[in-house]
Amino acid sequence: MKSNTATAMGSQNKGANGSEPLGSNSEIGRKLKQYYDDLISDDVPDRFADLLKKLEDSETNSPASDGGK
Amino acid sequence: MSDRSSFKQDLLGAIPSLRAFAMSLSQNADKADDLVQETLVKAWDKQTSFQPGTNLKAWVFTILRNEFYSQMRKRGREVQDSDGLITARMAVHPSQPGSMDLKDFRAALEKLPEDQREAIILIGASGFSYEEAAEICDCAVGTIKSRVSRARTRLQEILSVSGEGDYGPDAIASQVMGSTAA
Repeated sequence: MKSNTATAMGSQNKGANGSEPLGSNSEIGRKLKQYYDDLISDDVPDRFADLLKKLEDSETNSPASDGGK
Repeated sequence: MSDRSSFKQDLLGAIPSLRAFAMSLSQNADKADDLVQETLVKAWDKQTSFQPGTNLKAWVFTILRNEFYSQMRKRGREVQDSDGLITARMAVHPSQPGSMDLKDFRAALEKLPEDQREAIILIGASGFSYEEAAEICDCAVGTIKSRVSRARTRLQEILSVSGEGDYGPDAIASQVMGSTAA
């Protein structure tokens, strides 16, 4: 087998932002990233920020037993 | 108070990833957003159980995943949603190796069993370590490794990606399997 595989892998393994087991050296790995990045870059509907705001407000308005003191 | 608002900021920041993960699991945009919404409510309610300084993203992913499976159990396994069917029909055959496009990939991903799909997404796309993924999925690290490996093999079959010959199969395979190459 290729003797340099292990060393190559070793360094790759310590990739800066976390190792990439399905790394850029595999077509599947690349597609997977592309697929996911595509999803991540999707615009986030306002409903989620609104929801969190509502959750936060509901707590500040009604001081919960564990909140106030 | 400031704890709350920073928690809220962190949750806000996690939303794009949560949605991506939810889409990967449910393969349906409406369901995915419902899942995210449910997850945010749960996360908010449970915020005292979150340990500041630990990985919030992993924490909310765990909540979302649990929610996904509990909804699935509740509904019983529905027939694939219509979106899924459409994608599957459009899947066509990856004509020439190397020309696989995103649509083909999406369709292939959809054919994987959930456990394999989530494993390969968590590891290959969301940037979690095997340990984190194992925690999120509440299983052993070795289980995640073998799921990722099976998912990868399956995707290659479906997409008829020519072997990894050119790309250095040993490196990937051994990383996936634990280190045979050590």
